[in-house]
Amino acid sequence: MTDQSTKNLSPRQASERVALTIKARKRKESQFLFIGQSAVAVAIGFLILLFAGILSKGIPGFFQHYVTLEVQLDAAKLDPTGQMTIESLSQGDFDGAVRDSLYLALGNPEGRKAKRDARKLISSGSSQRLMTYVLNHPQQMGSTVAMKFAVDDDVDSFLRGFISRETSEADRRISDLQISYIDILDAQNRLSYEISDYLFFGSASRDAEMAGIFGALIGSLFTLLVCIILAFPLGVGTAVYLEEMAPKNRLTEIIEININNLAAVPSVVYGIMGLAIFIIVFGMPRSIPLVGGIVLALMTLPTIIISSRAAIRAVPPSIRDAALGVGASKIQTIVHHVLPLAMPGILTGTIIGMAQALGETAPLLMIGMVAFIVDVPTGVTDPGTVLPVQIFMWADFAERMFVQKTSAAIIILLTFLVSMNGVAIFLRKKLERRW
Amino acid sequence: MVETTSHIERRVMPDKTLGQIFVDNPRVSARNVDVFYGDKHAIDDISLDIGASQVISFIGPSGCGKSTFLRCLNRMNDTIDICRVEGEIKIDGRNIYDPLIDVVSLRARVGMVFQKANPFPKSIFDNIAYGPTIHGLASSKVELEQIVETSLQRAGLWEEVKDRLDQSGTGLSGGQQQRLCIARTIAVSPEVILMDEPCSALDPIATAKVEELIHELREQYTIVIVTHSMQQAARVSDRTAYFHLGKLVEVGDTKQVFTNPKHELTQDYITGRFG
Repeated sequence: MTDQSTKNLSPRQASERVALTIKARKRKESQFLFIGQSAVAVAIGFLILLFAGILSKGIPGFFQHYVTLEVQLDAAKLDPTGQMTIESLSQGDFDGAVRDSLYLALGNPEGRKAKRDARKLISSGSSQRLMTYVLNHPQQMGSTVAMKFAVDDDVDSFLRGFISRETSEADRRISDLQISYIDILDAQNRLSYEISDYLFFGSASRDAEMAGIFGALIGSLFTLLVCIILAFPLGVGTAVYLEEMAPKNRLTEIIEININNLAAVPSVVYGIMGLAIFIIVFGMPRSIPLVGGIVLALMTLPTIIISSRAAIRAVPPSIRDAALGVGASKIQTIVHHVLPLAMPGILTGTIIGMAQALGETAPLLMIGMVAFIVDVPTGVTDPGTVLPVQIFMWADFAERMFVQKTSAAIIILLTFLVSMNGVAIFLRKKLERRW
Repeated sequence: MVETTSHIERRVMPDKTLGQIFVDNPRVSARNVDVFYGDKHAIDDISLDIGASQVISFIGPSGCGKSTFLRCLNRMNDTIDICRVEGEIKIDGRNIYDPLIDVVSLRARVGMVFQKANPFPKSIFDNIAYGPTIHGLASSKVELEQIVETSLQRAGLWEEVKDRLDQSGTGLSGGQQQRLCIARTIAVSPEVILMDEPCSALDPIATAKVEELIHELREQYTIVIVTHSMQQAARVSDRTAYFHLGKLVEVGDTKQVFTNPKHELTQDYITGRFG
């Protein structure tokens, strides 16, 4: 042990050797640190770029131009039978009332072309809006009220600067005469730029100024409702069975492997399966939230099962022992003790699964939820569409207004997704326990 | 060090258990019990009687099978898949491994206190009330409250927690938690209480309180306590059983086992040669 030719260096020699390697080691470390930090910076940079792009395109989509006109509510014209019901009002001439107020503001244009150009200035949905107003405010019949109507989407494009005065009239979507009318209205301070109520409460429409996400939103709601009602009990029940009650044999192993693999299957495959089984074999109608919900539920099940199993496994065995020791049966132990403690993890997994389902487009396209549906669905068996599909359809339309509305709808969808994930994180933090 | 253990190895394991295995009117009687963990033979042909209103302690070196044997008595070994129990264990004359026996009601009659206190993450009241609730022992809220109060009083915890019954059970100190677990076990009015090293995680003062509790409980219950501390066994129990490598070496009155052990292995363990 005191042999001088030993392989062990003396402490002094060792320190010298160590000092030599320190420089190289520190350099490697700072290199790696630099790489990590640059990666984060690049990621944040792209994120900023992405959000800047979406917000700059999308924020204007939340606004629309409106024109204020004084409309004379002549009872004889609008409500011929005088009963103030929808039936009697639909026989009234609301178009005429709107037109007349417009001509009045423009100084009564003469000639067919002039009148036609004038009429095309405001949205074709204006008469509907007027009728709804009269229905809700019957006491105003007979007076003159100031109403805000949306301008036509071509006029809105002009006002936003997408159509310029300098292009020749033949290449423009609005005529010189229309531009002069717009100037007249502007001079009278009748034009305003406000939050678009059509975006939120309107439904699918070919007219960009009337297009809104309401129908798609309700469709999404119904689809998600069906999805969660099916996926949550089934998913949690499966997780409980596999974790607590299934015998540990080959069959259970195979089932587990398959469930894990299913989580990686592309979502469009679930759509094809939904088409083949539910629509073709079972003959269910296309494009209804019920089928969409079932397809999404199947897609979300693996996510819920896997996260629920992890949550259940995280419950310490001492709790189970304590419950069993007091004489609880297996089911009682699970329901009274294990599940409540595993619930935060289960909920987190479920909410994340739902957020994924909310943004799914491909499987729903396969089952036909891409149809142009104007009516808002009133139940899970009414044809409908979902928000991401609506965005997908709008992205196809050429008008500039649609570009902005699409971006606005994307912002709305992103807001839902971020808040759902936020709720999941909040729940996890709040319900975290230390045993 | 090496010399000591080889000197132990020269000691021969007994063919049969020494001392007084059987008692009159036993509460629990085990006959020829074998326990296997897979291929490992953890408990080797043990027969033992446990008398009513008695405290018996199981002592022995680590891995000798005392906890395993204890867990056989309320069939907690059922939760371990690879564990196989053979032989007969009768409580009040009925074999508890009979397939017709309901494990749930068995565990209501044979309670267990674990090494590390494991109160439910619920309020103190709910902790105690859980057992009586699921077994239907209380027919009204008032009765339930009485059961909770009685159990906490018997466990010596009532004065300390009576004003905070709705607070979480996990907020108590270690010793209080263990007494809470004992109260929880008492609440279902068992006949036998099994305790698996209940004081190993407690400081001396808490330990003393628990031992005092065991002393008071002995009147009404049969208590089986596994312990690593021979002083504790000597203080607390009426009979002592010494286990070694899965076999029951010796069993008898505590006083006799500690002052005049019949087998060399017992002698060596008690005098601290190993363990």
